[in-house]
Amino acid sequence: MARDLMFQEELKQAVRQAYAGISTGGGDSVARRFYSDQELTQVPAGAVEWALGVGNPVRYAFLQPGEAALDVGSGGGIDTILAARRVGPEGRAVGLDVLEEMCERGRRHAAEAGVEGWTRFVRGEMESIPLPDGSVDVVVSNGVLNLSARKSRALAEIHRVLGPGGRVCMADLTVEGELPPELANDQSAWAG
Amino acid sequence: MAERVFAGKLERAGFVDVWVGGHRPFGIDEACLYPLFTSETIQVMRRAIPPDRHHRVAIGVMVKARKPG
Repeated sequence: MARDLMFQEELKQAVRQAYAGISTGGGDSVARRFYSDQELTQVPAGAVEWALGVGNPVRYAFLQPGEAALDVGSGGGIDTILAARRVGPEGRAVGLDVLEEMCERGRRHAAEAGVEGWTRFVRGEMESIPLPDGSVDVVVSNGVLNLSARKSRALAEIHRVLGPGGRVCMADLTVEGELPPELANDQSAWAG
Repeated sequence: MAERVFAGKLERAGFVDVWVGGHRPFGIDEACLYPLFTSETIQVMRRAIPPDRHHRVAIGVMVKARKPG
């Protein structure tokens, strides 16, 4: 048990260090794999520069005007801003990230996008989301759940903050079979 | 995490109508686009993973589910 907890803490620190240690995201080469030209015109260049996702969950979430959306692991804010565009000023968008510097980037990019009036970024962990029960209609997440050493706990938290009938839409990577041990134990591979 | 494990965790968390789609291979060339993968890790990937799987190290998926109303 104690060893498991230590393992979880080590992974958490490795992920934080990996994300805190990069000076840019995947940029155009990543963003253009998942977002249309039209979508990319709706977000500032800085948010595109910090694209680190593996899909486009907002496109699949069918957000409606007036809904409350939460982006778990918001990074530079590209999906939070796209969600804010969809829900509009009568709704609200919240970006959650474990790193304060990512939240700051998200706030800056949201202001550049002109959606800051109904968009906020909060620092916190996906395993302990700092939002009340049943407070959002939709949760999106992009390449983030796999970073958690406590995925079931993170999903339970997402379930808790969703209201009845709420939806979750997540892009992530799955694997077929086992990864070679050298990779399974590689902190960079885990963080990526 | 395997796709079926992902779906199972969602169901155990209380979600219903779990849907998994949008499958898209994620290979080493894609990993190179992300600064989170260090050059050392990319080298380990190329060495440890059989060449015929280099284009499909993982699968990108879209997963949707609903909390019962």
